[in-house]
Amino acid sequence: MFDLRQTDRTRGEFEELALKHLDPLFSAALRLTRNERDAEDLVQDTFLRAYRFFDKFERGTNMKAWLFKILTNTFINKYRRSVKERSIVEGSERDAVHEKFISRETTDYAANPEQFFFDRLLSDDVLRAVDGLPIDFRLVVILADLQEFSYKEIAEILDVPVGTVMSRLYRGRRLLQKALANYAVVSGVLHAPENGESIDLEAFRRRRSKSA
Amino acid sequence: MSIEPSGFGEEMDCTEMERSIDAYLDHEFDESDLALANTHLANCTHCRGMVEVQGRARALLRAKLRAAMGPGVLGGCAPAELRQRVVIALARQRKPIWRRALAPVPMATLAACAAGVVVVLAIHGGNNPFIEEAIVKHNRDMPLEVAQTEKDAVDQFRSWLDFNPHLPRFQNPAVHFVGARRTYLKNVPAAYMRYDLPHGSAGGLFIFDDPDRTFGEAGRSIQLGPAKVRVFNSRGYNVVVWRRNEIVYSLVSDLDEDDLVQLVGTAAER
Repeated sequence: MFDLRQTDRTRGEFEELALKHLDPLFSAALRLTRNERDAEDLVQDTFLRAYRFFDKFERGTNMKAWLFKILTNTFINKYRRSVKERSIVEGSERDAVHEKFISRETTDYAANPEQFFFDRLLSDDVLRAVDGLPIDFRLVVILADLQEFSYKEIAEILDVPVGTVMSRLYRGRRLLQKALANYAVVSGVLHAPENGESIDLEAFRRRRSKSA
Repeated sequence: MSIEPSGFGEEMDCTEMERSIDAYLDHEFDESDLALANTHLANCTHCRGMVEVQGRARALLRAKLRAAMGPGVLGGCAPAELRQRVVIALARQRKPIWRRALAPVPMATLAACAAGVVVVLAIHGGNNPFIEEAIVKHNRDMPLEVAQTEKDAVDQFRSWLDFNPHLPRFQNPAVHFVGARRTYLKNVPAAYMRYDLPHGSAGGLFIFDDPDRTFGEAGRSIQLGPAKVRVFNSRGYNVVVWRRNEIVYSLVSDLDEDDLVQLVGTAAER
């Protein structure tokens, strides 16, 4: 009564559709779990669950979004409890410096884009900054700015309203930009604003190392 | 901060532009809002500058993310052996159960419980729908299909069951197989094996395949030698439930609970 050829065809179809998303899924899993072994387990669990529910997937719809949804749910149900979350402390002094920096005249940026502090950041710093975001913000930034899903797709992946996606993105991106600017300051990349305000780099580094 | 990109009215002003700049840059505006936004930007140096700054910051952020964890870099690539692992795991997911590479926990280990030290591990409240249905069906004394032995019954059921039930063998000489029947528990195909048990009792053994572990956690969890079983009591019946990998066994009986547990403890795998 059981047609084994049917199973083989379905598995082949699944592998063809799903395995091409292995790398982006692993990349996200690594940022969520923050260690390689858990990331590998999470990815394997995701593919197994996706295969089990493959009959519920509508051919022609976005397989990548569907897989990310399963990844997110699996992470929340199985792995989230074991991840210690370290969130960025939003010190008011830090904010003050960066508000001043970011609100510089736009003509300065247009004239000297190469001085923009992101340019000299190392990938390590970027990963640390991303990992330092609270999980909810980390996830939306990854989905929007790395995987380039739409708001609607992200809302479906996370099972939240679009408004929630937008507010998390807004806050997540700004938190990330601030965190990245911190790294730039410490590595001596950041220039003091030319309108006379000064940054006390030593005080800044002391404050940063306290909350790191 | 919640940003709604729609409903700008006749024209867009600077406040609205500032508040919805993310949605604008993320290409989330519909046609009409996009027209309003572009009209405003054409006429407003301040907002145009702001959009350019944010746009550049966004592009740089994305480039940095791609460089750190995107395709082709260390943080963005799955290890080579992970793909292999996944493919092998998918291959193992095939039914029927006898094609899987399982490491069975033989029920013969239950027989190691000689003195029958029974330790209650946990009690979960609530009913289990599988068990409730099993009790109802056993109580109903359903007509049995003709079979000389349990083995004959299983042979008759084999293609219908889609799995190998691995019948237990009860050591007690007072246990006699009476007959078997195909049935369902919560729409899952199950084998029903009826036995005469000691002290004039009857027993009904339900066997079904539960690979997705939907059976649940209710009942009392009891340590039986090296194995764990679950015990339920309802409507005057006692039910002992145990699992061998994906297969769940539920023995329903009016026999005294301790005797029933001991009986299960002496069962050995066929």
